[in-house]
Amino acid sequence: MISSAGRIAIKSGEVVLEPMEMLLRSVLSIFNGLATGKLRIKEIVSQMFESAVLSLPVIVFSLTVVSMMSVLEFSWHMKVVLRQDALVPGFSFVLMVREVAPVVTSMLLASRMGASIAAELAFMKITDQLDQLKVLSVSEIDYLVVPRWFGCVFATVVLTLISLATAVIVSAGIASRFMGYQPSEFFNSMFVFTRGLDFWGGIGKALCFGTIIPLVSATKGFNCRGGSRGVGKAATDAVVQSCLWIIIADFILSYFIWTR
Amino acid sequence: MFRKIVEAIRGIKLWARFTLEVFQLFLKKGVDRNAFVSQMYEVGSRSLPITIVAGVFVGAILAIQINLQLKDFGAQSFLGGLSTSTTLRNLGPVLIAFILAGRVGAFTSAELGTMAITDQLNAIRCLGMNPLSVIVVPRLLALIVSSFLLLILGLAMTVLGGAVIAAYHLGVNPVNFATNIPRFVSFGSVFLGVVKSFIFGVMIGSISCYFGYSTSGGASEVGKAVKSTSVVTLISIIVMDFLVSVTGESLSRLLQEVASL
Repeated sequence: MISSAGRIAIKSGEVVLEPMEMLLRSVLSIFNGLATGKLRIKEIVSQMFESAVLSLPVIVFSLTVVSMMSVLEFSWHMKVVLRQDALVPGFSFVLMVREVAPVVTSMLLASRMGASIAAELAFMKITDQLDQLKVLSVSEIDYLVVPRWFGCVFATVVLTLISLATAVIVSAGIASRFMGYQPSEFFNSMFVFTRGLDFWGGIGKALCFGTIIPLVSATKGFNCRGGSRGVGKAATDAVVQSCLWIIIADFILSYFIWTR
Repeated sequence: MFRKIVEAIRGIKLWARFTLEVFQLFLKKGVDRNAFVSQMYEVGSRSLPITIVAGVFVGAILAIQINLQLKDFGAQSFLGGLSTSTTLRNLGPVLIAFILAGRVGAFTSAELGTMAITDQLNAIRCLGMNPLSVIVVPRLLALIVSSFLLLILGLAMTVLGGAVIAAYHLGVNPVNFATNIPRFVSFGSVFLGVVKSFIFGVMIGSISCYFGYSTSGGASEVGKAVKSTSVVTLISIIVMDFLVSVTGESLSRLLQEVASL
């Protein structure tokens, strides 16, 4: 009983502390790179391409479906509460900006990029490529983690913007097709409730989630142990823990940005 | 682009064939009860904590957001009903299923993929048994049953999360929150959430088993299988969510028209 409680405490301490350590080391390495002018621009650009451009079709497709859903569901609820759906565009767009666009985009990215980052780094670990980097005196944080961090942050922010644009277009289309809105009327009523803070809060959330994904996944990749089974486990853990961290961070951010 | 679409359609065909084959095997030969129970333990009870945490936080987040929108109208007394209804019908099952897809689906596809590339499935074939019925049938059934149950538990947890955050930080007392729920949450909404949970369970189970089972090549293929499992499961969850909602909507409209005749 006591020993299992202790084990759980140690395990959860590791889960929280290891990504934190990775965060600190990456920040240090970025400052170091800025000071010496040795940021690896080529790696960073290629990671940005890898994570943003290649995820684009998946994100646009999913967000199209999600925003259709969100408009239809909101119209259902509004009919129940107010017996009309005049406020639907405003309400559904506010929820989209604050919550759905950043969270769904980053969860899709977490499953795509998180799994691939963890699998790649874990594979490098079990084939001793990380030790080779050490022999060449190349810091693995500099070379592997920081470019992925930049790539993921860039990807989450840009893709969140793109998914907002998708949401606007798709929900206007759905509303004019199924609910008898004129698109211009819809656009006017869409931005009634949305304020600057909502937009910046959404972008800020995307920034945080973009930091969570690569750091958690890289930690899992570096800590991979034991053969090909370990690689699979690292990828699984990376996806699960980044999704869980995203939800928890989302709660904390929503609370502090809007409720206070 | 065109090639990718063709590939995707071929993938869907192969997946459907695989799933049908597994179900036929199950109907014909039944399932090994020991393997089923141990799989239930492995994927089900081990995912319990993560589901509870996810459910509580999803409920809390949606309560905060709905509260912000209601506060402008002074309609906070509707909070319990509206946030519970939104969570049960739409966002709750999707977000919890995302996390479960990562936990349960990726785990299964990694395990089956490792079995496939290390020839363990071939070893079973050499013993004269069908790996589909020995390995895949209990896993798929356990995945479907346990993800269904976990999703239902997660949905129950969202109500709890919403009520707690409403009581402590949004100034809506729990009694008010709870009495408001039946005003908006009809039997239809709960049923929709349950149907969605079942369908998400089927998608998570069948897709992860399919990707894991059809892995071939080296160790890096296992990583690829895990990655494509999680991406494809998430997309299929979103699409299924939409399809089920639209079907449910048109069914309920049909029922209303029939009733009004």
